[in-house]
Amino acid sequence: MSNRIVSVSTALGAMFLSPVLLAQSVGQGADLSGVWTNDRSGGGWQGHAFTEELPPMTEWARERFEASKPTFGPRMVPVQETNDPVYECFPPGTPRVYLHPFPMEIVQTPGRVAMLFEYDHLLRQIYTDGREHRTDLAPMWMGDSTGHWEGDTLVVETVNFNDKTWVDRRGVPHSDQMRVIERIRLLEDGRLRIDVTVEDPIAFTEPWNGQRTYRRVDWDIEEFICMDNVNFESFEQEVLDYDGGSE
Amino acid sequence: MNDRIVRAFIVSLGVGLVSTGVFAHHGAAVYDNDTTVEVAGKVTRFEFVNPHVLIYAAVTDADGKVVEWSGELTSPNRLARAQRSTVKWHKDMFQPGDDITLIGNPARNGAPSLRLREVIDGDGTQLIGGS
Repeated sequence: MSNRIVSVSTALGAMFLSPVLLAQSVGQGADLSGVWTNDRSGGGWQGHAFTEELPPMTEWARERFEASKPTFGPRMVPVQETNDPVYECFPPGTPRVYLHPFPMEIVQTPGRVAMLFEYDHLLRQIYTDGREHRTDLAPMWMGDSTGHWEGDTLVVETVNFNDKTWVDRRGVPHSDQMRVIERIRLLEDGRLRIDVTVEDPIAFTEPWNGQRTYRRVDWDIEEFICMDNVNFESFEQEVLDYDGGSE
Repeated sequence: MNDRIVRAFIVSLGVGLVSTGVFAHHGAAVYDNDTTVEVAGKVTRFEFVNPHVLIYAAVTDADGKVVEWSGELTSPNRLARAQRSTVKWHKDMFQPGDDITLIGNPARNGAPSLRLREVIDGDGTQLIGGS
């Protein structure tokens, strides 16, 4: 019995320890693992966009932007009137997922950095094993992410998007030619900084930049399922249907 | 009471600077962010559900008529870890009949509904907002 316990604990130890040892052996730049939540103290736009000003949109994008009916920003409408794809429970896409006010956990293993988002339990996998982007897949909501380390900074390139998501929560569109570059690193104070560059020759006249900062928290990633939104939509409809209290 | 209304108004000015997204992840076009209303009554329903926690309370108006007000908050997980509240909330926090004070932005169409900024229980404990 005791032998079995020893062998089981050895096996468990190997399972948990080996990624750490391997991570060190392949020289991954920094340990980004942990649960992170948005750390923002600035103006209201930070809750729904990466930049205060609108990105430099082409005519193609401007047309789509004007047709969008977002629930945030100066053109916000009630949920009942929005055409934001997120309210149909489609994934928010990359990098927009960072704008949803829920934490995410980074799990780092050799060859892969995973982001587990509390929002709708989305999983994003960033492959750091040197592979090229896949060419056999259809366009994706969250895109295809590969990354490499430049010192202590994880540099991520994401491509192969569909054109169905918005790049923020105020209705700015993007095309299937979008390319997102992220530089992810720890700040000296322990916070996590994600610098985002968005390139899209169809939607934007030039690349533009944004950033998000996260702070580490001791929370667990819990459940938040988008389809539960129906609860809120029926609640909002009750409010909108108010008839003045007549009996 | 007057003090509280004044304080609530000041709070509303304060949160107005950060506007949308402080509590809600849905936007808040239905509500008037520039106005704050306070009502006190007894809890009729408490729904600790995604995506927004809902509180309903029976409030007696100046004419003696009982009106059921509703109030919406953020998601249960954010309240349970006190991410946007002053205490850790839980699913059994309120029972029907509990005294409660709700302070928030009213519905633009006059419906008895608030986007909650503050919730105070019958003991006067501030459960959210007011900081």
